[in-house]
Amino acid sequence: MDTAFRKIDIDIYDEDTLQESELYDADPRDPAQVLDDAKQRQAAVRSSLAKGDIGEALSITLDNAPYGPGVDAAKEITLQTLLTILNSTKSTEITGIIKTLSQDSQDTLMKYLYKGMGMPGWGDISGSVLLGWHEKLTEVAGTGSIVRAMTDRRTV
Amino acid sequence: MALPEVHNIAQVPITSHAFSGDRSQLAVSLNSNDVQIYSRSGTDFVPTETLSEHDKLITSIDWAPNSNRIVTASQDRNAYVWQETPDPETGKLVWKPTLVLLRINRSATYVRWSPNEDKFAVASGARAISICSFDAENNWWVAKHLKKPIRSTVLSVDWHPNNVLLAAGSADMKARVFSAFIKEVDQRPAPTVWGSKLPFNTVCGEYTSPAGGWVHTVGFSPSGDVLAFASHDSSVSIVYPGGPAIYNIRMTSLPLVTLTWTSEDSIVAAGHDCRPLVFTGSEAGWQETGTLDDSKSGETSRAGAAGASSVGRLKAGAFATFRDADTRGQSSISGSSPSADTKLLTVHQNTITNARPYEIHGDQVTRVSTTGVDGILAIWDVNAVTALTARVGGIQLR
Repeated sequence: MDTAFRKIDIDIYDEDTLQESELYDADPRDPAQVLDDAKQRQAAVRSSLAKGDIGEALSITLDNAPYGPGVDAAKEITLQTLLTILNSTKSTEITGIIKTLSQDSQDTLMKYLYKGMGMPGWGDISGSVLLGWHEKLTEVAGTGSIVRAMTDRRTV
Repeated sequence: MALPEVHNIAQVPITSHAFSGDRSQLAVSLNSNDVQIYSRSGTDFVPTETLSEHDKLITSIDWAPNSNRIVTASQDRNAYVWQETPDPETGKLVWKPTLVLLRINRSATYVRWSPNEDKFAVASGARAISICSFDAENNWWVAKHLKKPIRSTVLSVDWHPNNVLLAAGSADMKARVFSAFIKEVDQRPAPTVWGSKLPFNTVCGEYTSPAGGWVHTVGFSPSGDVLAFASHDSSVSIVYPGGPAIYNIRMTSLPLVTLTWTSEDSIVAAGHDCRPLVFTGSEAGWQETGTLDDSKSGETSRAGAAGASSVGRLKAGAFATFRDADTRGQSSISGSSPSADTKLLTVHQNTITNARPYEIHGDQVTRVSTTGVDGILAIWDVNAVTALTARVGGIQLR
């Protein structure tokens, strides 16, 4: 059976179609500022990591994480920063650190874990580290957090 | 503790259920084009009648308790109002359908009678809600559309006790409160916390789900002053419009798809987690207090076998089967191993899609009925709340 018709974008014939931008509130910051913020945070995270304060480093990265279109560079920097933190955490400490995060941060962390798992081989992504964090995070934040990572259109 | 009353109605999903006013009869749609009416006989429900008129799947049923009329909505874009009338030949009472002119071009998804039973609201995939009232002159039901600013399929509606305001939850991630004032039917309503001047299609409130989940279910509190909605981002939001405060509870479990208020300070809600949860609170704050499903039978042994420190259901049932196959090379499809048992520990064995008040004393709902994809009807005592922490070790609440 010919199934090519399923790929036709019928929405272009509908003037009243639902736009992506109507589904969530856009980030009020402009893209250049988001990129600046991401770079500043990267520096702040380095100093927290030097002190060995992983919880603080994580919350710095996850608060106000970039989302939406047009900020890909900032998203990559944030992912890179986050991977540095994840890779340098001892597996026994993970649960304790996750529990100190706010619910918002936990949900954002879950989004980044899935983003990371979706791009194997990028940067220094290590599948086993991500899966380790994923297991511990699910124990704390539950399956609800995974559902939120899937439904939220504010993709990181 | 009072155990829930459990009826195995069918082996197929129950798309919708509604009890008659005196609770002696039950109308369900068993994932088909027909409505099946059951009568209670002793402790059982026996099928008595089948209402066939729709030619696509029925999505929602509501039974007006006082005027004893049933309204059904279907994917065939129609709604019918069913009324018991004597058959001209035999004199026996039979259900006669009246077509409703909904004027929608997508499936009807949800229907509810207004408190006064003089109109009803049909939600639809046509980004509109049809508010239907009876036109005595032409002897049919006519519809007026609530359209703006709905941007996607409307998944549920709920009437305010004043018969005018309507809450709607839709797939554009928003819950809204509309005025559904029909001047032929309604008296001018008294001012409420939602507003005082209320011509048709006034938007009295618009609320977004916190993490982008489409809104599955909405409900006004018994007084109508508070609105609750649950969305697919596993969260429940409780709105105090006068506040203006919105309490949001992000759950650790799977999303809820149906909710019903049981009193001014408590809500019973259920969904993909297969068990009814209880939320309580007031203007000062809301929290998840527990579940009605304490299902102790076999829990300790099975939970123990499946690894007690795990995340609740994650490591039970099918998950455990695959894990065992992976780590130990066991393909335990035979019934001997406890982890091969895919029966859930809950009463409902699949998603609960409908929760409705069953028994009401004064302004308190004392029992609620639930149906779901597993074909089970359960009637729960809302006061039999078990703290969640007592169930399946490992689920953590904060």
